[in-house]
Formats: sequence, structure tokens, C-alpha cells
Amino acid sequence: MALIKNQQLSQSYVATPELTFSQWLADEELGDCVLANGEDDLPALLDKAPQMSMIAIAFEAFTDGRGFSMARMLRRAGYQGEIRAVGDVAMDRIDFMQRVGFNAFELRDDQDPTEALTKLGEVTVHFQPSADGNGPAYMS
Amino acid sequence: MYAYNQYDQALVDQRVDQYRDQTRRYLAGEIPEEEFRALRLMNGLYIQRLAPMLRVAIPYGLMTSNQVRTLAAISRTYDKGYGHFTTRQNIQFNWPTLESVPDILADLAKVQMHAIQTSGNCIRNVTSDPYAGVSADEIEDTRPWCELIRQWSSLHPEFAYLPRKFKIAVSGSVSDRAASQVHDIGLHLHRNEAGEVGFEVLVGGGLGRTPVIGKVVRKFLEPQEILSYLEAIMRVYNLNGRRDNKYKARIKILVNTLGVDTFGAMVEAEWQHLKAGDLRLPLSEIDRVKGFFAAPDYLDLAHAQANLTDIFAVHPAFATWYRQNTRDHKQAGYRIVIVPLKNQLQAPGDASHQQMDGIAALADEFSFAELRSTHDQNLVLADVAERDLLALWHKLQDLDMGRANVGTLSDMINCPGLDFCSLANAETLILSRQINETFDDLDYQYDLGEIQLKISGCINACGHHHVGHIGILGVEKGGKQVYQFTLGGSATNDASLGKTLGRSIEQDQVVVVIGQILDVYVELRQTDETFLQLVRRVGFAPFKERVYGTHQKSAA
Repeated sequence: MALIKNQQLSQSYVATPELTFSQWLADEELGDCVLANGEDDLPALLDKAPQMSMIAIAFEAFTDGRGFSMARMLRRAGYQGEIRAVGDVAMDRIDFMQRVGFNAFELRDDQDPTEALTKLGEVTVHFQPSADGNGPAYMS
Repeated sequence: MYAYNQYDQALVDQRVDQYRDQTRRYLAGEIPEEEFRALRLMNGLYIQRLAPMLRVAIPYGLMTSNQVRTLAAISRTYDKGYGHFTTRQNIQFNWPTLESVPDILADLAKVQMHAIQTSGNCIRNVTSDPYAGVSADEIEDTRPWCELIRQWSSLHPEFAYLPRKFKIAVSGSVSDRAASQVHDIGLHLHRNEAGEVGFEVLVGGGLGRTPVIGKVVRKFLEPQEILSYLEAIMRVYNLNGRRDNKYKARIKILVNTLGVDTFGAMVEAEWQHLKAGDLRLPLSEIDRVKGFFAAPDYLDLAHAQANLTDIFAVHPAFATWYRQNTRDHKQAGYRIVIVPLKNQLQAPGDASHQQMDGIAALADEFSFAELRSTHDQNLVLADVAERDLLALWHKLQDLDMGRANVGTLSDMINCPGLDFCSLANAETLILSRQINETFDDLDYQYDLGEIQLKISGCINACGHHHVGHIGILGVEKGGKQVYQFTLGGSATNDASLGKTLGRSIEQDQVVVVIGQILDVYVELRQTDETFLQLVRRVGFAPFKERVYGTHQKSAA
């Protein structure tokens, strides 16, 4: 699987954790990288985020948009570690994902990573503020 | 009317390029069907029974004459020469090819139009009062607020994959002409006791499978915080709305499950993070947008009133049209003119390319080159001088757009039904044809007074049947198309949901039953009592007795 991180193709990278956030809650010594999804306890995740270096958010189906709000709220809470989108991640959604605070994307196998890179920043005009600190347009 | 600046134009142009590339990759087999479906829906493209259908946004129903000419040209070039105006103030083209859609979007972008978020599980086109800025009972013009909401919601990165579609309506007058109580969010500009203007916020209204009237989640919201508060609602919904069952995924289900107080407390908690932040609208931005909606250069006609009484004496048909199809204007010497898309020969809401070009020319000549679309599938020329009305009336007759039937039985709302839509259970257009043929006497319709007849071809309720004074819903039973009647619905200030009259009716009996319902009304009404008032007073018993007591051919 290809990973884009900080707007670059990443050749060698830390594997996506298998440790789920709920497992981690039971034993906080298990590590500082967790796998979360829309079913997790979001207030707890926001509370514990300072102890993490990576939070991978799983999109089991591309239609599940909860991960977008989770990333947005993690950044708002001041979390500065990696937020990695994993699961059903395709080039047509990573621009929005980047805007709400994801900085790493583990692409689905059928995705061409070089082409996917061109989709970041595909639409340059933003009408609303988001985690990228960019916009709205009338503030320009 | 709002005019794009460099940012608006760049966004729409880039969106066209993005969709062109998505279409190319789909046709090359690089995007799976289900995924492309979500992408094309966010650009308004459905795949229907016979062909794709493209829904183009008309933000809060406002168009320039030049935009209408482009819509006419698109219908000629890419379609079969007509368009269909919808209950959400948009327009649909029923016959474009999938391959041509990027070109259509590029044509639209040249006149500052698009199809962004006209479908899909995202924030849809914001709708409003078609008389905004011109009605006499207005508290504040809704159009600048609608434009600010349009911008905020356009390509909002966080809310493109909501549990379900999301519709916002804004009303700014004493009379609610935006059906705001049956939207996911309804916003009412109103004055508080201190005399300040702010928003009352309703949440969780909607039609469809589970019709619900919206509930007040906040009585008064400072206008500068409108976007921060909307964002708080959206975030609570995005995180908590049901995703396991599409029929339970609308915000109304979440609000009903939690209770509006609990839901409101969650919104309030989230809003504490947002208010007075980046989303607080600067007054300079509000003023900039308001500047686009300044009143046009009205002539001072207060002392130069047209002598309409004399003209009425010469042209009684004009007098009737004036009574039925025009409304009071806040500017002395002007009228609001409603142009019904409800003649006998076309489906409700349909306009041919000749009619679109023709009405655009009339807007240029008589109404400051602007038009509006309404949620009851008509058009409006909002600023016509009284002294021009007779000339306008003559020219509307030439376009077959001057039928004096606004607010009558034949001014019905109708979804496209099984003739076009892949969701429909039943044909609806045949009903509108039958109704027009059976009740073709306009004097009879005038005598009946205001009757809102709304017809949907399936439970998704695009024809808003729940809020029709008379509602008709097409359903399938045992392989047959049958029709369920509801009575007593309303989408205005006194919003209510119609209740089912009884068992379903076969297609060839629908007009018979409508006739029976109207007969009961005519027999029982008191002086000046409208149909809706009568239904509320006498209840269903006399209607049931007439329809089912004598009616032998109803379906099981």
C-alpha cells in the first residue's frame, strides 16, 4: 500500500497500528499509535490525544464521513501528531481530508499514488475555515 | 443579485475541471461504479430510468435573464428542448448524456451557475422566499443570508459525506413562503423584544418517509453567528446521525430520538468552541454581500398610478389574471408577477426553451433582468411596474405562460414520477393531465379558492404531498399503481401534515375522488371558509363517507 505523508510519497513509513483505541484505553502502556474509527468514544480520544504520536482513522466505507469531523476536532484540540486516513481512501477525497486535518493517507490498492498527489489542493478556493487554517475566501 | 468575484469564479471553474477528470477516469474504468455515483451526485447527476438527469442549482431561486437564456440553450444543445423547475427552486434536464455533463457544467460556469451539491448526502441548495426583498410583510431580506450560507456550505470539506442529504430554508417575512418548517434546518429572521433582528432556528423538519414538523432549537441567534451555529448543528449530526439505515439517517430521526432539548444541548456545547471564532461573520462581509441585493432603480410611481380599474373594465380577463397571478409589492406602483408553469399541455414545472428565452426577454423589458423560481414550481417577475402589466400580460399569453391559475387546483405540484424517475412507484404526470382535462373550467377553480394539490410518485415525497391541502401519493400494490389521498396538510405558518383519507384509489378513479372531495367542500363550506379551514373544522367523516360510501372501484 502506498502512503502519502505531508504531501509527499512516503517510501518507508511506520506501519498503520493494529492496536485499537479501545484496546489502548484498557492498557495505556501498549504504545502511542492507535487505530480509531467513528464508533470510538470521541471525547476520550480528544482527552488522550496528547499521549499519541499517530492516530489512524479508519474509513470502513467511503460514505462514512464521521472521520472528517474527528480529525477536525483533534486538530482543534491542539493535537499535532500524525492523523492518518486508512481503509477506503481514494484520491477523490484526500483534498477534503487534508483540509480537515489529516496529514497522511494510506491509499487503497487500486489508487495511483502519483496521480493522487496531484489531487491535493485541486480546488484552491475555500469558503470556510478548516483545520488547514486556510480560508474563508473573504479573509484573503 | 449576487455577482461572482474572482474567488467564486475560480471555485466553480476548478470544480468543472475536477469533475471532467472524474468523468474521464470513470469512463476509463478507474473509478468503481458506487464511488463514482457519490461523486456525480455531488455534481447533480442522477442515472434515471431512461437517461441521466442533471439538476442545476438556482441558489435560493434567483436568476438573471442571461442565466435563463443559458438554461434554454443547454436544453436545446444537450437535451430535448425543455427543462423542469423543481420544488427546491432548481432546474432539471432529463436527457443529457453522461459524457456531455462536463461541457454543460463549463457552459453554466460561464454565467456563474453550477450543479454543486444539488444531490448527494451533503448540504443542498439553500432555498428561500421567492418574494425576498420585495414583499410588503418582510422583516429582513433573506437573500444576503442565503448567499452567505451558500458560500459556507459550498465544498465544505467536513460535510460532504453526511449520513443523508441536508436541506436548509430561510424565511424573513411574517408569512412563511419557504416551507421552512419541513426542512432539516429552517431559519426565520424575526425581531426579538428588544427590536433586534436575529434567527429563530428550527431543526429536524422534513417530508419523505417520516414527515415531521421542525422544532425550535434556538429562539434567537445573533445573525453574525449564523455560520458558527450551523456548523455546530452539522458537526453534531455528522458524528451522531444514524448510518446503518438510510431511512433513519435524516437529522429528524436523530432529533426525535434524542429529544430536541438533548440535541440542542449537544449543539450548544459544540457551539461554545465555535462562537466568536473564525466563523463569526465580519460586519464588513455581511455589508459586502448585502450590497449585491440593494433595491433596483425603481421609478417614483407613487403619484403616477396606472388607472387599472379602467383597464379592468375593458379587459376582464386581464383583471382576473391580475387578481390571481400578481401580489402586493413593497414599492408603490409595482407588483410581483407570478408566471405559472402550469398550463394544460405541459407537465407542472416544465418550460420549453422558447418559453425560457421568451420569459428572459420579458424580464429584460419589465423586471430589471431578473427572475425567480418558486418551490411550487412557478417563476416570478418580482419588480413589474403596474403601468406595464397590461403589455406584459399580452406577451405572456403569446408564450402560453399567462394562465390565470396561481393558487388554484390546477396550480399543482407534481414530481416527474415513473415517466422519468427510477425511484417512483407510480405515474404522476398522467394525473396532472387528467386533472387538467376534468377540471378545465377556471371559473369553477376560482370559486373553490385556494387549494394546494400536491402529488408525489413515491414515498420520498418530492411532490410534498404531506403538506398539500389535498395530497396524492403513488404507491404500488400487487403490481398495480394506486394512489393514496391525504387531506389537511400545509407548509405555511400553520404547518401541518396531511392525514390519510382511507384506502388507495385506482388511477382511473383519481379525478372522480378529487371531484367528490371538492363537492363535499362546496356543500359544507361557510362564508369565506377555505378548503383547508373546512377540513380542519369538519374533520374527515364527510369526505370518507362520500368517497368510500359510494365508491365501488377502490383498490383493496
